Amino acid sequence: MSKPHYDLEHHAKKATGIGDPQCFKGEAGKAKFKVGDKVKVRDISDLFYTRTPMYTRGLEATVVRLVYESPPAEDEAWDNTENVEWMYSVLFKQKDLWPEYSDTFSQDTLETEIPEHGLEPA
Amino acid sequence: MSSATRDRVLGHLNYVGMLQPAIHKETHAPAPDEITNEQYRAYTRPAHDVGGEHDVPIPWEEKEEEVWEHNTFVTCEVLAWRGVWTAEERRRRQNVDVGQTQYLGLPYYGRWLLTAALILVDKQFVTLTELHEKIDEVKKRYE
Amino acid sequence: MSKNHKAAPMVDEVSEFEVLELAVRELAIEKGLFTQEDHNAWTEYMHTLGPVPAARLVAKAWLDPEYKKLCIEDGPKASLEVGIDWVNQMPTKFGTPSDYCNLRVMADSPNVKHVVVCTLCSCYPRPILGQSPEWYRTPNYRRRLVRWPRQVLAEFGLQLSEEVEVRVVDSNQKTRYIVMPERPEGTEGWTEDQLTEIVTRDCLIGVALPKPGKTSNDKRYVRPAVNPYGH
Repeated sequence: MSKPHYDLEHHAKKATGIGDPQCFKGEAGKAKFKVGDKVKVRDISDLFYTRTPMYTRGLEATVVRLVYESPPAEDEAWDNTENVEWMYSVLFKQKDLWPEYSDTFSQDTLETEIPEHGLEPA
Repeated sequence: MSSATRDRVLGHLNYVGMLQPAIHKETHAPAPDEITNEQYRAYTRPAHDVGGEHDVPIPWEEKEEEVWEHNTFVTCEVLAWRGVWTAEERRRRQNVDVGQTQYLGLPYYGRWLLTAALILVDKQFVTLTELHEKIDEVKKRYE
Repeated sequence: MSKNHKAAPMVDEVSEFEVLELAVRELAIEKGLFTQEDHNAWTEYMHTLGPVPAARLVAKAWLDPEYKKLCIEDGPKASLEVGIDWVNQMPTKFGTPSDYCNLRVMADSPNVKHVVVCTLCSCYPRPILGQSPEWYRTPNYRRRLVRWPRQVLAEFGLQLSEEVEVRVVDSNQKTRYIVMPERPEGTEGWTEDQLTEIVTRDCLIGVALPKPGKTSNDKRYVRPAVNPYGH
């Protein structure tokens, strides 16, 4: 087998003077969700890598911001940058996340980012 | 109470916290029907995904940086600057591929360093033999 | 021993980490992956970093409601006004590899208190805040803050009333966060410099609140290094 060739300039060519994730702007196409949408975190496999934390799986949240476009981390971690997705910042209620969370603090929340393929309509 | 006693007391409290129930198995590598799906998911889980796990209050500490830690951080960023990897590949390798035991057992920057060494070998910039010889050569400078 | 003989350190005085670090750096340079000048340049860039620009961003926002709106809408653009260019300031000219270019400023309100963690590793807004503290990197902080935030904040000396919504921000992707706390009482008429002084790194992570007279983080144990890096 021959040795693979690595284009060490690849990222620099794409992002110099522009920044990351700015360099992926426009590549994701139409966003599936908008601010205010109720979404649910898909409980898809986390085999080998994920940046959608286990503690969010299967839970409903509200989209609070369309943050940027980027290949999802699960792909970027293997240098696969062809499929660019919208990244959403979503808001959870702590009382939904944790059964023991005190009613006294029922207004507490948690915000984190999840890529489009990790979400479905609630 | 003397401070030697307080040192011993506090050391003891730290140490007993490390006691775990021991389930000793007679042999390793179980048959497939000896592993439940829940166990499979536990063994294959990405080690870095720790949010929401139980843990105990500890004193929050600052830390002086070692020379090697600083150099390791810089090496990792410069390898990304020069296109050898992206930070995301580094994280995947450093925080998940290392496996559960190294993840919890090694120092934070220890994983950065091992991962930087391995990327050079994995992407064939260096052979493993070259790395072994270089480690040996460096060690000999301290003899 | 002759007077010119320098005793070499015993083999067990140098750690495996130190040996491997040298081996990796030397091999990378030998193979042309980067130069020692590259390495030095990144060290020099790291030396420019610290929490003051983020503190000044908060102070400016306290004094100027329009700037505060910009901070919330466009973190990288707001950063330029405190001298931080997330894209071009560092040797790459495409941002730092680990910190990217998407700062979000999370503005507290009388009803909402933000606090930041990266449960998956220790992502941190280095270009505007400097290097992360040790405690922030621990599995312990990362496990507990998302689930027991008020308990963890209480350990940092912060207790919030039940009227306040505590919002934990898990920095798990490419966005990097700083917290903009509420401007405290007793700072009427203060200059931007005076306000900057009381916005500590701990305030910018969200584990402390700014107070007149408090110009540094709470004192904590500093674990010493065997061979400390000093610059």
